[in-house]
Amino acid sequence: MPQYQQPPSWRLEGGGQILDLETAVKDGILGGGGGGGGLGGAAGEKVDLKKMIEELEPVEDVPSVFICPISLEPMVDPVTLCTGQTYERSNILKWLSMGHLTCPTTMQELWDDAVTPNRTLHQLIHAWFSQRYLHFKKRSEDVQGRAAELLETLKKVKGQARVQALKELQKMVVNHSSVQNTVADSGGIALLTSLLGPFTSHAVGSEAIGILVNLSLDSEAMANLMQPAKISLVVDMLNEGTIDTKINCTRLIEMLMGEKDFRSEIVSSLSLLAGLMRLAKDRRHPNGTLAGLSLLKTICSHERVRGLIVSVGAVSQLVELLPNLSHEYLELALRILDDLSTIPEGRVALKDCPQTIPNAVRLLMRVSESCTRYALSILWAVCKLAPDECASLAVEAGLAAKLLLVIQSGCSPELKQRSAELLKLCSLNYTATLFISKCKLTRTIQ
Amino acid sequence: MIFMLAIVLHSMGSFCSRQKPYNEADAEENEQAEEIERRIARETKAEQHIHKLLLLGAGESGKSTIFKQIKLLFQTGFDEAELRSYTSVIHANVYQTIKILFDGAKELTQNESDSSKYVVSCENKDVGEKLSDIGSRLDYPYLTKEIANEIKTLWNDAAIQEAYSRGNILQVPDCAQYFMENLERLSETDYVPTKEDVLYARVRTTGVVEIQFSPVGESRKSGEVYRLYDVGGQRNERRKWIHLFEGVRAVIFCAAISEYDQMLFEDETKNRMMETKELFDWVLKQACFEKTSFMLFLNKFDIFEQKVQKVPLNVCEWFKDYQPMASGKQEVEHAYEFVKKKFEELYFQSTKPERVDRVFKIYRTTALDQKLVKKTFKLVDETLRRRNLIEAGLL
Repeated sequence: MPQYQQPPSWRLEGGGQILDLETAVKDGILGGGGGGGGLGGAAGEKVDLKKMIEELEPVEDVPSVFICPISLEPMVDPVTLCTGQTYERSNILKWLSMGHLTCPTTMQELWDDAVTPNRTLHQLIHAWFSQRYLHFKKRSEDVQGRAAELLETLKKVKGQARVQALKELQKMVVNHSSVQNTVADSGGIALLTSLLGPFTSHAVGSEAIGILVNLSLDSEAMANLMQPAKISLVVDMLNEGTIDTKINCTRLIEMLMGEKDFRSEIVSSLSLLAGLMRLAKDRRHPNGTLAGLSLLKTICSHERVRGLIVSVGAVSQLVELLPNLSHEYLELALRILDDLSTIPEGRVALKDCPQTIPNAVRLLMRVSESCTRYALSILWAVCKLAPDECASLAVEAGLAAKLLLVIQSGCSPELKQRSAELLKLCSLNYTATLFISKCKLTRTIQ
Repeated sequence: MIFMLAIVLHSMGSFCSRQKPYNEADAEENEQAEEIERRIARETKAEQHIHKLLLLGAGESGKSTIFKQIKLLFQTGFDEAELRSYTSVIHANVYQTIKILFDGAKELTQNESDSSKYVVSCENKDVGEKLSDIGSRLDYPYLTKEIANEIKTLWNDAAIQEAYSRGNILQVPDCAQYFMENLERLSETDYVPTKEDVLYARVRTTGVVEIQFSPVGESRKSGEVYRLYDVGGQRNERRKWIHLFEGVRAVIFCAAISEYDQMLFEDETKNRMMETKELFDWVLKQACFEKTSFMLFLNKFDIFEQKVQKVPLNVCEWFKDYQPMASGKQEVEHAYEFVKKKFEELYFQSTKPERVDRVFKIYRTTALDQKLVKKTFKLVDETLRRRNLIEAGLL
């Protein structure tokens, strides 16, 4: 694999002379007659220079003398004031037009408001960026060439060689956006998709998926990936792979779910749903938890799959997970539980899980309005299903006090309305005095 | 009295001597005992590195064929003596098959409404009776060219072919067509069975058979060491299974998906697929398999492919909610996915939440296809090796 060399201490070339930048700046030698020219030439170079700077962004270690003191960006059209300080033309003109008649860096009053184009500095900047640009272009081509090579290799080799080629290609796709285009243009996507099948080893499959999630896939590629045998493979890898592989698999499925041809049968796989729950519950990897919960939420939006999600025991697992989730993930988890509460099996599962009521009550008015809304909806569903049983449990857990908080808060009117209704429902089994005592917000309930 | 005192003193003396460091004879005994202990410890340790694989499944699900394939792939295969040992089995299969068909045709003439098509033609009737008679004996004669020709003629009889098409209710073995088509070769005087013949040969396994093997990796390095156990699948054999259930790394459960329209050999009122369903459920719930990996081989896909286009899946009660979608190859895939989902559903229903973490994978197999079995086993091996690494905390 070609090593990417750092640009050597660069030189100005032109006019038959080779100058070292350090020397040129130190000795004040103006180098390179080639770049010199009239305004036209300078203007032409300016456009190129701007393009180069843009393409190379972000550039590290730009010499400080090339940077405009006002914008801290490399100068495309450096001009010098009478004080000898150099700025980007547009910036200093703006400064002056605001009425300031001083030099921004030295604070001296300007005795002459002329701005002189600093051709020397411009040439140096241009030369410096040109060299970087050339290196960059060459590296891109190298990288793209290598990527094309790898794709050819993949068509021929098998086994360990195939895994190695895929690993290398994956690194390149992640690090160089130009490679993504190369792969797409030379039929790489179809090739990678064809590697996925019922007999694909985990090693090959995980690498191929790692590449595909970083590419933009067209409808044909997506349709191809939606074949049952390929989806089975993705689900298997989601269950067995490293955390990165698992996350890649969730990303790929999310991409597929965005397609208009997507049918919910594709994600109606118990192995997939069980695998996602496992991923969400894994405390060691928070980004895995996020990936698992996000995909579950997306899947949950398809009503037909909700029954399956409940059947893998997701409800109790999610409820038990709630106390351990950080705030960003709570909304996801609560949203899923809320969606599941819309089907009868979901409601039953929520009711049967002993932690549902205490955990949901605790989350009211704790995190965000959305979370409160979902928690309230869940409590509604449970209390509606078995009012005698659940209402009293909820009240004991401090629901009444929390509901009063909601009603008194700045939440949306319909949320307050729902809270009031739930409060009424819960109060039915209590005498007025007893109920009022339950509405006190004690420390333990908070 | 003094005499008795002497004896007591003497025994006291020998008692005392035992307190001193061992005399020679004892030393040797202890040395031997220690050596045995060391050997037991070594072998136990070695055994721990051997992964136990168990082939389970109902009768005729393909367990023994997989077993033979592993032998062919990862051991020295079958030498000539072993191949020859199958000759009598193969000939027996031929006799059994033609008997089942002939007797079956007779049965169908009695029970079916359009009985005429099951009536064997006059010329073949006597031959049929003779062959049926041979087939009921305990010992079969060598399959000569003469007998083979007679069988061939009978096989080609229209009535017999009609009976064959109703094979699902007659207990016709799956190897029937293959052997009938190769009768000439099978009846050669110096016939030595080929590997393929051996794979098709059908013997009801009774008891347990085991082989130890190590799948050789790409780099020619030896992989894990596996010990594979094959068992009988019929009901009366299953009580012997329980003795093998300890310390199993992975269960390879074979389910012949082509059997959805067939009845059990041991109980012709029971649908084979329903039996497999119940058996799988039972195996999954076994306490000792709490951490065992399950590899479900949905076997006999080649037969399934052909059958599903002619016989709808819903003839089996478990699949009664199946709705055909397309036709041709697409329909086969659709039907397969349906069956797969059913097994998946069964797995999750039968598995307690704490156990859901064990490995469960489904493979589509055709046990007779060596290449496919090799590819499939490579995947099984990879999964088990990854599992070992995960459990060791290395992944």
